[in-house]
Amino acid sequence: MTITQVRDTSVQPNGGSGHGAPLLDVRGLTVDIAVPAGTLHAVSDVSFAVNPGETFCIVGESGCGKTITSLAVMRLLPKTARIAAQRILFEGRDLLGLSDKEILGLRGNRLGMIFQDPMTSLNPVFTIGNQLEEVYLRHRNSGRREARERAEFLLEKVGIQSPAMRLGQYPHQLSGGLRQRMMIAMTLMCEPALLIADEPTTALDVTVQAQILQLLKNLQREFRTALILITHDLGIVARMADRVAIMYAGRVVETGTSAEIFAAPQHPYTRGLLACIPVPGSQGKRLGSIPGIVPSLIGENEGCMFRNRCPYAGESCRHGEIALRELSPGRGYRCILEPGHAISEATREPATTASQATVQ
Amino acid sequence: MNQIIELPGRAERAATDASVLLDCRNLSRTFIVGGSLFSKAKELRAVDRVNVSVRRGEVLAIVGESGSGKTTLGRMMLGILPPTSGEMLLDGKPVSGIDRKTLARRIQPIFQDPYSSLNPRKTVAQIIGLPLAVHGIEAGAARDRRVEEIMERVGLSRRLIHSYPNQLSGGQRQRVAIARALVVQPEIVVCDEPTSALDVSVQAQILNLLVDLRNEFNLTYIFISHDLGVVEYIADQLAVMYMGQVVEAGPRHEVLEQRRHPYTQALLGSVLTPDPSLGLPDLQIGRGFPDIMHPPSGCHFHPRCPSAMPVCSAVEPPAFRDSAGLVHCHLFSGEGSSATRPIAQ
Ligand SMILES: Nc1ncnc2c1ncn2[C@@H]1O[C@H](COP(=O)(O)OP(=O)(O)OP(=O)(O)O)[C@@H](O)[C@H]1O
Ligand SMILES: Nc1ncnc2c1ncn2[C@@H]1O[C@H](COP(=O)(O)OP(=O)(O)OP(=O)(O)O)[C@@H](O)[C@H]1O
Ligand code: SF4
Ligand SMILES: [Mg+2]
Ligand SMILES: [Mg+2]
Repeated sequence: MTITQVRDTSVQPNGGSGHGAPLLDVRGLTVDIAVPAGTLHAVSDVSFAVNPGETFCIVGESGCGKTITSLAVMRLLPKTARIAAQRILFEGRDLLGLSDKEILGLRGNRLGMIFQDPMTSLNPVFTIGNQLEEVYLRHRNSGRREARERAEFLLEKVGIQSPAMRLGQYPHQLSGGLRQRMMIAMTLMCEPALLIADEPTTALDVTVQAQILQLLKNLQREFRTALILITHDLGIVARMADRVAIMYAGRVVETGTSAEIFAAPQHPYTRGLLACIPVPGSQGKRLGSIPGIVPSLIGENEGCMFRNRCPYAGESCRHGEIALRELSPGRGYRCILEPGHAISEATREPATTASQATVQ
Repeated sequence: MNQIIELPGRAERAATDASVLLDCRNLSRTFIVGGSLFSKAKELRAVDRVNVSVRRGEVLAIVGESGSGKTTLGRMMLGILPPTSGEMLLDGKPVSGIDRKTLARRIQPIFQDPYSSLNPRKTVAQIIGLPLAVHGIEAGAARDRRVEEIMERVGLSRRLIHSYPNQLSGGQRQRVAIARALVVQPEIVVCDEPTSALDVSVQAQILNLLVDLRNEFNLTYIFISHDLGVVEYIADQLAVMYMGQVVEAGPRHEVLEQRRHPYTQALLGSVLTPDPSLGLPDLQIGRGFPDIMHPPSGCHFHPRCPSAMPVCSAVEPPAFRDSAGLVHCHLFSGEGSSATRPIAQ
């Protein structure tokens, strides 16, 4: 991973509720990944801030750069990635300037991350108990007994009963949902100040999901933990988020409070996304889906990245960088359309059917 | 409990039987866990006397609590995991008498995780072609053609034929998994959370595709999911599991509308609709989480049930069945007095 610090003063979507320094302040984050076919622009000029105790949701289509953005904050990008940013301040320290040793001291400790795929982050050859204790022992001056007690305590918190038996099991002996909750417990071993949760409840049924989300909320209330929640479940966004960033093809295309995003989505992509949700009474009808696919992120890109799928696209969408329209501090979108250009979703062509549209 | 199913009439059972393609009878699976130097081995009843059946061309969705045994049940249906007891009939014949390979050709899986279920060292063509090779179906150019046909059918560009899984997006990988499952023309496809790793727009494409393919090939789906929006969209029949048991089953619209079992009510009440004016639902089922190692006596749901009565902790609720389906709850067993009346919500 190569790090470049850039000095750049372009206007960015503002975030944060104003008072006090944010816990995490990301400005102008760009991540390029070297791939055989060239350079893949995974994240382009992304800015956001997260305050203590706040829930910030990142939403967007598969491959839009949500995980890469969080891995950049964690300084866990693959070796082939090049990262550039004005700053990534966490508790006032610039993460980009930290030594490997310093970042190791933060990770799993002040900075926690629940990874998207529990199987890749749990080691198949060690018991669950071993892995949870290990995290604690690495950062705390304590004995194994204390670590085991903390692990058992957290297992109960995430709704796993018979903790002693479960801690003795190996990852493959657990159901998908149990594994995901083990990951969550592991991240909470050291009470992080910032928790990045990458799709933390995809493997859980809705009752357990509601309980886990409640647990995260309680943590926030109790310890002022800030939460970056990455999800494609708009139901979760609606119920959890203070503020939301919608990403598309490596860029933040819309930001706002969750009330603003759901009541008055501005970007055509955000509107499309809201139309894809299966709702009661949808049986037999085709689901809305956004026709077309995400453009390749490899090579130079110009104009609005959504234009090949956008029902409103015109000539001016092809060129230059589409500016962010700021409606109010923290509320903005990247599109040439005027605010409130609302054309009812019903009048739009519904969905290209998956079976007709050939994916390239 | 689940074995005593009182049917209203024998004729009805006989009539439905003819179209039943897969029939699970009192299917159970127990794992032995623990058993180290320090602890005694214990039994974990992952699936406990489950009765479900699916008719040809129908979609049976299985929903339920995390860890309630859905995947284990699915693996037994696929013949990957032998049941501890009970039996499974395919077209009326015991599955135990069908050899693995034949069964595999008739029942195919699509797993949750398009990331780890595809071999990273094989190309798309090799992955989709493998089941054909295993079953000795066609060869050479004919096999290639078949692979190309199915790729086209699931919306995968020919350009991708020599790509490796890590070069594909999540949605494309799931299409590869679907193509691999369908290339041998199975009768039943067991889909275990086929869209939960995908974002909503890709999910919509995949669901639309699954519905199209079912209509085209008269497929029968066992659809395991925890997304009730998805289930409502795709299912004909619905079975709700809790701690290894089916607690309610029946036609989708009946189960979703009547929500007779208190767990079904809790499940449906936890669905997060995208409404930012609402917070997290207040589950009326307490903070407690169930412990599969120590299943509660009587009805497994009783410690969390807002409607629990004294009988609930003492006696396993028997099956109650009517045209709206099957429910295991004392509110319907006569003991709870409200008999056939759906309880107030
Ligand atoms: N190690 C890697 N090498 C090359 N490209 C990568 C690598 N990791 C990610 N990418 C690419 O970077 C882009 C952003 O990926 P990222 O994982 O951040 O997406 P995401 O928004 O998290 O998607 P999902 O919802 O599917 O998890 C994608 O185009 C992806 O293919
Ligand atoms: N190989 C195994 N060894 C021991 N226990 C197992 C094994 N496989 C599953 N189990 C246990 O069986 C129970 C049911 O697991 P299963 O994977 O069927 O649940 P599920 O309903 O699919 O849950 P989820 O929604 O979380 O995927 C769990 O308690 C699990 O730990
Ligand atoms: S049997 Fe009793 S405890 Fe169980 S769900 Fe019905 S009312 Fe609740
Ligand atoms: Mg991701
Ligand atoms: Mg499962």
